[in-house]
Amino acid sequence: MKEKNFVQGEKYKLELSNSSMHEGIFVFENNEFIYLKLNSGYNMGILKKNIKSCVNMDLEDKSHLLKESSSKLHANSHKSFFDSSNIISENTQFDKDSEIIILHTGGTIASKVDYSTGAVNAKFTPSEMISLFPELKDIAKIDSKLISNMPSDDLNFYHYNEMAKAIELALALKSIKGIILTQGTDTVHYTSSALSFMFENLPIPIVIVGAQRSSDRPSSDSALNLLSAAYFISKSKENNTNGVFICMHESSSDDSCVILPAHNVRKLHSTRRDAFKVISGGIFAKVNFENKSINFLHNNMQYEPATIKNKILKLFDPSIKVGIIRSRPGLLPEELKIYEKFDGLILEGTGLGHFPIDQFDESTKQNKEILKIIEEIASKKVACMTSQTVFGRINLNVYSPGRTLKDLGVLGHNLNMTTETAYIKLVWLLSNYSLDDTKKLYSKNLRGEILDRLENEDFL
Amino acid sequence: MSEHIIKKDKPAQENSVKEEIVVSKNVFDYEELGFKCGIEIHQQLAGKKLFCNCPCQIRKDVPDFSIIRRLRASAGELGKVDKAALHEQQKSKIFEYLGYNDSTCLVEMDEEPPHPVNMVSIEAALIAAKLLNMKIVDSIQFMRKTVIDGSNTSGFQRTALIGYDGFVEVNGKKICVDTLCLEEDACQVIERKNDKDVYNLSRLGIPLIEIATAPDIRSPNECKEVAGHIGMLLRSTGKILRGIGTIRQDVNISIKGSSRIEIKGFQDIRSIPIVIDNEIKRQINLIKDAKISNKKIESEVRKAESDMSTSFLRPMPGADRMYPETDIETIDSSNIHVDKPLTLKEREQHYVKKYGLSNDLSALAVKYESKNEEGYTFEDDFNKYCSEYLSSSNIVSSILINVPEAEKKSGNKLNWFKIKDPLFTSVSSGNIASSSLPDVLFDVASSGEFKSEKYKQVDDSEIENIIEKIIVENPGANKGLIMGKVMSALKGKADGKKVMILLDLKLK
Repeated sequence: MKEKNFVQGEKYKLELSNSSMHEGIFVFENNEFIYLKLNSGYNMGILKKNIKSCVNMDLEDKSHLLKESSSKLHANSHKSFFDSSNIISENTQFDKDSEIIILHTGGTIASKVDYSTGAVNAKFTPSEMISLFPELKDIAKIDSKLISNMPSDDLNFYHYNEMAKAIELALALKSIKGIILTQGTDTVHYTSSALSFMFENLPIPIVIVGAQRSSDRPSSDSALNLLSAAYFISKSKENNTNGVFICMHESSSDDSCVILPAHNVRKLHSTRRDAFKVISGGIFAKVNFENKSINFLHNNMQYEPATIKNKILKLFDPSIKVGIIRSRPGLLPEELKIYEKFDGLILEGTGLGHFPIDQFDESTKQNKEILKIIEEIASKKVACMTSQTVFGRINLNVYSPGRTLKDLGVLGHNLNMTTETAYIKLVWLLSNYSLDDTKKLYSKNLRGEILDRLENEDFL
Repeated sequence: MSEHIIKKDKPAQENSVKEEIVVSKNVFDYEELGFKCGIEIHQQLAGKKLFCNCPCQIRKDVPDFSIIRRLRASAGELGKVDKAALHEQQKSKIFEYLGYNDSTCLVEMDEEPPHPVNMVSIEAALIAAKLLNMKIVDSIQFMRKTVIDGSNTSGFQRTALIGYDGFVEVNGKKICVDTLCLEEDACQVIERKNDKDVYNLSRLGIPLIEIATAPDIRSPNECKEVAGHIGMLLRSTGKILRGIGTIRQDVNISIKGSSRIEIKGFQDIRSIPIVIDNEIKRQINLIKDAKISNKKIESEVRKAESDMSTSFLRPMPGADRMYPETDIETIDSSNIHVDKPLTLKEREQHYVKKYGLSNDLSALAVKYESKNEEGYTFEDDFNKYCSEYLSSSNIVSSILINVPEAEKKSGNKLNWFKIKDPLFTSVSSGNIASSSLPDVLFDVASSGEFKSEKYKQVDDSEIENIIEKIIVENPGANKGLIMGKVMSALKGKADGKKVMILLDLKLK
């Protein structure tokens, strides 16, 4: 049969070369096959060359009901991008009495299947979120807006500034108790650090929420995470809680969520609901979903009570360039070389904070060159050591290579920031302070990112 | 109602008291009632699970861990929320799942996306489709069927259409088989409480073939026969799980003036006709009531109870409950080649015709093969070993009769597959008499080793010496008595026919 243009959502009747007949809605096609959604609900892939004849049933029968619902499907799928009233702008007015503002950046927590590609895409409008999670209305007065659709893997410092500006608008509301920011989970722990550094003296909690199972699935973790964040915010005033947090599952079970601090948190699993773990320090609070109670575990981690008056916002400079280089056996000098042009470099060393900088035989000659490049960056720009062990503190005094790096001016000694937190902190410092001040402030605790004590329980 | 009663050969699962299964004769005028019936068969496959590498092993022992989950209804592909899904959400239940570290993994827990499809299951489904004379879809796409009663941790069951437009012939009548799907089995319910259902994860993900016939069945007994025939075809694939609960039948029935009713959970295929008859009886009463009250009879899913009645399970699920499983790539079926195997019945006839087995031995042989998990077939051994000295009957009876006897008598287990080749090779070439197979097997079972020299046939002169000796020792004895004594003296080391010839010569 001659190539035919199938229209998504329209109904066709096909006769195949094996003389069978099939009726269904056209879903998608690739080079070889077309896929029909049959009346039974199943999709059936049909080799195009096996199609003997084809009738468009919608053209045959204009009054077809399915046509109506399929065109509705099309309209819905584009709504989130074109309904401007739901998108944040400078002139955005939130509902006047709102206690919790949900700011939306796309991601798994609000996503839908894209039938043309088969992929899961962020597509729900913020108001659709409320209709999806009606319990929200019993917790607080809610408003919900889309900042813009930002896939979490594609985020950069420009987007953090956009988020901060949207948060600023929400903070201006008198009735505001807290803000929920929804985001794709992959980089939530970078965002939490970024927002925490940007806002000094934040008066209320900002809770970032993600989902490891998209909300188009009945088993999605999005509802529990979102509702737990809302419960946490609703109890924040009486507990003097302010700052930036992450709210995700505590375990594989849908019975409690953890409120994690903004810094030194990592996504430690690619698929599990409880993928996010605190690396340095402990869980801030637990939300028991069964009885809606909040158990505060680390009250010492919250900031001094702040008011809206002394809140300070310092944005990122998106032109700042900071790199991360991971040490490993066989590291080559040319890999480091490109960072000489950057504003700063995070060295993710092995163990206590080590890099291959010693020559001990013929084959390790190049290590001298690595040392030279690190020296160059540490003296002219800024170089900070973190550890790929993930857990534990950097100590550059224990072995002589560590002492060498420390003497060259590599920062990070006696600190326990994760690579992600250190990276965000360095970019933010370079965005707002001179190089000298950046070097001084890097080793100083600004937002709870550096802990004096590591406790026995703070490991796996 | 005229009934006759047969004893059930196994005690019912739920109580140990021997239960009697009541089988109905056709008691209604089904044509007059407008009785229509289709059957849906679910058959578990052996091997690994459909979307992960866990074993297909249903467990009932103490679990290693448990997790708590909640499910929410989601909008279907066309934006509608499924009716059955809504019904479950209204119950707003908590689900507890019990799992095992070594036989359930993150996939069953819905903590990891499905792995690539187990291709052995796809092949099994394609073989079954061929046996059911079906057409195969060109490209197989797995769908998510919304199921939020908690039986699937994901809230949906993954299922794919594999075959369509098939048929089976039962008692000369053609019954259309509309579809064959490959899906993942659900969790097994352990306990239902008001606020919480408890499920065991071990069954979740076992590959399941779902076969749906057209409503071509016209009587309850025909329904049972179609179910039995399709069951036989599925066993013919050689790739199914066996035992209680590995095959399940759902029956869809309707009569004039009522709505379609699905009955699930038959304990035994033989209970199908009487449960249907009882449901028809209930329907007839409902129709009477409905006429008086002017109410519509709702279409619903009902459970077959052990007392042969049915009970309400849930409303009939709506149609808009599937959307594509985007985590799994589509499968081009033209790249997978499977041959249509003989059905078990055809195989029995094949052994009789080609290898000269008796009907009884052939039936035994095929039954044995269909239960053998390693895929052993007698045909391989027939082709390898049959000769003028070794017949197909010798081979089958050695394996199915002599081996178990030898094990029983000796009290030792026989490593049959290790000695099979040297033993059959020796018999086939005439070095060991086939008539001595029972004795040899007993000896091997007792001594624990097989030495072919030990059972080697004695040469003709030695046989003649023994014959002569026996004749001298038993003057006046008849031929039969001498023959018997000679054979027992030879302890199977000579073929009976040969001894008879030599004895005849001697007596002349």
